[in-house]
Amino acid sequence: MPVGYSIYRDRPSPIHKRIDPRTKMLWLVVLFGVALSFNQPIILGVVAVGLLLVARVAKLTWSDLRAFLLLSLWLLLLSVAIWPAYIHQGSMLFAVGPVAVTGPGLLFGLAMGLRIDIMLIAASIWMMTTSPQLLTAGLLAIGLPYKAGLAMASAIRFIPLMNAERVTIVEAQRARGLDLAHGNPARRAFRAAPVLVPLFSRAFLTAQNLTVAMDARGFGAGKTRTNIIRLDFTPLDRMICALAVIVLIGSVVLRLMGIGGLIGGTG
Amino acid sequence: MSETPIIDVADVHFSYGPGLPEVLKGVNLSIQRGEFVAVVGQNGAGKTTLAKHFNGLNKATLGKVKIAGQPVEDQALAVIARTIGYCYQNPDHQIFSSSVVKEVGFGPGNLGYPPDQVNSLVENALKLVGLTALRDAHPFSLGRGQRQLVAVASVLAMDPPVLVIDEPTTGMDRKGSAAIMELLSQWASDGRSIIAITHDMDIVAEYIPRSIVMSGGEIIADGPTQEVFRNQAALTRAHLVAPAAVVVSDRLVSYGVKYARSVDDAVQQVTSICGGRRSHAGRV
Repeated sequence: MPVGYSIYRDRPSPIHKRIDPRTKMLWLVVLFGVALSFNQPIILGVVAVGLLLVARVAKLTWSDLRAFLLLSLWLLLLSVAIWPAYIHQGSMLFAVGPVAVTGPGLLFGLAMGLRIDIMLIAASIWMMTTSPQLLTAGLLAIGLPYKAGLAMASAIRFIPLMNAERVTIVEAQRARGLDLAHGNPARRAFRAAPVLVPLFSRAFLTAQNLTVAMDARGFGAGKTRTNIIRLDFTPLDRMICALAVIVLIGSVVLRLMGIGGLIGGTG
Repeated sequence: MSETPIIDVADVHFSYGPGLPEVLKGVNLSIQRGEFVAVVGQNGAGKTTLAKHFNGLNKATLGKVKIAGQPVEDQALAVIARTIGYCYQNPDHQIFSSSVVKEVGFGPGNLGYPPDQVNSLVENALKLVGLTALRDAHPFSLGRGQRQLVAVASVLAMDPPVLVIDEPTTGMDRKGSAAIMELLSQWASDGRSIIAITHDMDIVAEYIPRSIVMSGGEIIADGPTQEVFRNQAALTRAHLVAPAAVVVSDRLVSYGVKYARSVDDAVQQVTSICGGRRSHAGRV
């Protein structure tokens, strides 16, 4: 059964091809900072729309983003449904059972949902526009030890491999009459043992084999290591990074000045 | 009136998702009870994809698959498991229990057989594969060949009339391969159908009477193994090579040599034709 190898989508876009992975990483951090700085839904909404425009420039399609956007929508709705139960400022709009829903409560729920959505969409665009190799090279370039970089790259590479193993193991056990679809969650969890035991043993074995293969090829023999990928931090990257720093500082300053906060002292 | 085939595949097309290329392109196939069939072809030819239609792991995009006359799509996999035993290529994809006997008892237990019957099926399966002495051993403490036998026993214990076995001899030495193929031949002669997916042309020639050659999602040859190995066009298209014993015996037909299933068979025939005479170097 085919399984995806990464969520990376190779497209001929400037975001894929012209921007250094470190620049993208900085923007990811900045966007997290911006999302956490504000709790005003209009500002957060503008940032979210901006992110969708970035996705368009990156030539990502609806089908690329569908799963993340649907998850974002679900989280947004969940947030709007939950927060009014905790925020009671303002006049009541309507009541749901014992819960008095207020305007600020709804707006705060919207803001908190958008905050999570921005983080989710930013991270997904980052992963979709940066190949795992470049991502690792970027982390190594900012000082991550190369063994940790390899561990991270291996972990990313192992996810689809382990998923393929899981699919095969589930098929093998279903062919022996294992029913994973029926019964209550506790029973189903108990019945997952015939899947989990071979899956973990395969994961450990694969990791052990990889370790031995890496050792046999001299991995870890020296303290430093050359990398086939050469990163090029261009003047364009410097400009974009400078903009990122300005945006982050500006966001923090604005919030400290009381701009962009929906409810004083909350969130 | 002819007997209802145990497996009947009619014009089956299959792809792994909308917009993805077809992996099976109009496969037609009929397997009777008691047949021992090899499915051969290069990697990606669609062998395993086809076999997974037999127990409903894959559902045909177009066309019909019937098991003992019943459409597969009408039956749950757990129900089909009573008829179709499927043994995966890698035993480590299914072994999870702490003893051989528990592992082998997992399948019949799932099928809801009473404990006495499960015990009897397990003991019988262990006896068949020669693992009775290792019944309490931890499966992960066994070698690759023995784990393969545990996997086979765990499917045999479900007592299915059809056994699909993917690469039955991968990773096994000659002795282990011979043991498992003898076992499968015995099973087929008892009236069960065996479908072996394999790349090993030697075992196909030696043990399996019928062969199906797949290439690019289609069946390009289907018939007695002897005839299939003479179909050079199909073998070339599927990037297959007939075993040396078959090729040599074919070339010696005019000398009275018949289709040789193995090197031993070819040598025996040639020796017999030569009247058992040996050269001074001790060679035939």
